[in-house]
Amino acid sequence: MNATLLGLFALALYGAAEGFSIFSLRKNSGALGRAATIVLTGALLVHFVALQVRARTLHSVPYRDLSDSMSFFAWLMAVAYLFLAFRHRERSTGPFLVPLVMIFLAVSLVTHPSPSPVKKGLAGPLFAFHVTMAILGYAALSLAFVLALLYLVQNRQLRTRRTGLLFSRLPALDVLDRMERTAIGVGVAALGVSLALGVIWAQKNWGTIWDAKLGATLLVLLVYATALFSTRLRLQGKKTAFLSVIGFSLVLFSYTIVNLFFSRGHAFR
Amino acid sequence: MTESSPLVLVGWDFRRTPIAVRERLAFTPDRIGEALARITRQGVLSESVIVSTCNRSEIYGVGVAADVEDAVTEFVAGFHQLEKPAIVASRYGLSGADAVRHLFRVSAGLESLVLGEDQILVQVREALRIASAAGATRSVLHRLFQQACASGKRVRTETGVGTRATSIPGVAMELARKVYEDIDKRSFLIVGAGATAAIFYDLLIGRGARSIDVVNRSFERAEALASRGGTARRWEELSARLPQADVVVFATASPTPILGAAQVAAALSARRGKPMLFLDLGVPRNVEAAVSNLDGAFLYAVDDLKEIAARNLADREKDVPRAESILEEEIADFLSWYGSLAVVPTLASLRRRFETVRAREFDDALAKLDRVAPEDREKIRLLAQSMVRTLLRRPTSALKDEPDPARRVERAEAIRHVFGLDEEE
Repeated sequence: MNATLLGLFALALYGAAEGFSIFSLRKNSGALGRAATIVLTGALLVHFVALQVRARTLHSVPYRDLSDSMSFFAWLMAVAYLFLAFRHRERSTGPFLVPLVMIFLAVSLVTHPSPSPVKKGLAGPLFAFHVTMAILGYAALSLAFVLALLYLVQNRQLRTRRTGLLFSRLPALDVLDRMERTAIGVGVAALGVSLALGVIWAQKNWGTIWDAKLGATLLVLLVYATALFSTRLRLQGKKTAFLSVIGFSLVLFSYTIVNLFFSRGHAFR
Repeated sequence: MTESSPLVLVGWDFRRTPIAVRERLAFTPDRIGEALARITRQGVLSESVIVSTCNRSEIYGVGVAADVEDAVTEFVAGFHQLEKPAIVASRYGLSGADAVRHLFRVSAGLESLVLGEDQILVQVREALRIASAAGATRSVLHRLFQQACASGKRVRTETGVGTRATSIPGVAMELARKVYEDIDKRSFLIVGAGATAAIFYDLLIGRGARSIDVVNRSFERAEALASRGGTARRWEELSARLPQADVVVFATASPTPILGAAQVAAALSARRGKPMLFLDLGVPRNVEAAVSNLDGAFLYAVDDLKEIAARNLADREKDVPRAESILEEEIADFLSWYGSLAVVPTLASLRRRFETVRAREFDDALAKLDRVAPEDREKIRLLAQSMVRTLLRRPTSALKDEPDPARRVERAEAIRHVFGLDEEE
């Protein structure tokens, strides 16, 4: 089986799930919402098989370069969304989150490079686990970002007394806040584990632990940890949402600028 | 349903009948059974359902009497001891498809004072239940009301006609549910113990709220209001109770604001960032407007709630055409069932059925008897025809000569069922 074809099939299924969730939101129909969840689960499975096939071709984890990592990132984001949807019994955020999954998968499919030989030190479970955890962390934090935006939108609608269709379909503020915190919690934990593994790996392979990426990640973790402890710090949900937005822009900064120009081993080259 | 459809409706509603008359025309639930029994006994209607709410009194029925509308009006006047001329003017009478359409519109809330309100659907369902229990409904009205209720439900789920809240308490609850999902797990604080406070108290109890504090200047009145669940608090406790409250309802007649922004800021800080919703129903306002500038405090005054309610109502009105097209579909479905039960189509299908059987059996038999002379063939054919004619005689007269339209429909239905007429066609 061809990984690209499977990826396209998964993309189509994600699209169908998105269609169902939009309709479910418009019509306020539970049956359509359930259909969306079922199709999304199907998309996840197909996407998983695509990743497996890719891994077999590469003889390594299927995310050794930036393009492949985006596909895996999209998959983990969808997994994280399903987890959130079940945990908080709230599906109405689906239409806003699934497009993100689709974009990343689509970009990955378009930019698919031909596999390159594995570089020294990039094989082995330690490295694989480090990358997996990092991508899971980024996926969860991306979800938290979208949820924070939805929180800010709903907060604004409540303030400006704009109570249209979007207002009536989006979940309550406290639900969005809880979902956002769960996503941040998962993200911080995964990123923390990844960081620890990265430090061990760097010590072994480079002989030093210092890297610009380490600094950037510590900063990201600091911002998100503040968000997690916001109730202790007596911060309003709105401020937590802002922290999540700031944290996410730092993630993007770390993922692009730091990876490409400042870090030793994160440029995927 | 053509010229003489026996399905009728006679009614009085808030649009055409003044409240003073409507009050006297209302049928209380305990007297509906009696009214239905009398209307049947007097030979006015053979099936009947009474829909009686504060906005309408309507009698639906399958008519027996010659001038049914008039006979029903006469009955209603007699039952309520009113002069007939006093109620004739504001009465409306509809029959056939028009009566069906009216009931479907009523169930969907399109005829309600507040467009799309839910209560009427419950009331129509209850009207059917009472009439069924009293033995006043049979095939036609039973099916009519069931389908009306189903369509009413369909309109509410498939269109926005009944979705958004259009009353001040309704809008307030909708807002509360967008800040906090589970109303029943939240703490409420009601400030005031007058009529408005009581409305909100009842509403919260009805929605399953378990933690309600009532604060009032007169502690006795707070106690009286909190008697059905909830805790009465003294006026001095207001500030101390504030941080515990997720939703605070203000409904006092105080001439100056009771709650200032500083107090709210302190409460929010003590709540560690959990938001608070303030519903200020006092006129003049009980809560300083500056409160709405605080992060985590959502303040809505009466005018805000009114504005949202008006906008929601306008949204409902936009969906009326969609609701109407759903109803037309459902009405057509009911009318096609009802139409098939009329005497002429039923007899025609029955005759067709018998003729089909006769023709088939006759051909089969003749194919087997190949040595029959042509004149004998003709005799056999005539014999078969006469058998069919004889067999049709009884059902034909049973349908045609039955004076009671409801029973006629039941017989038609039985015939259609027994001979499987609906499967064939």
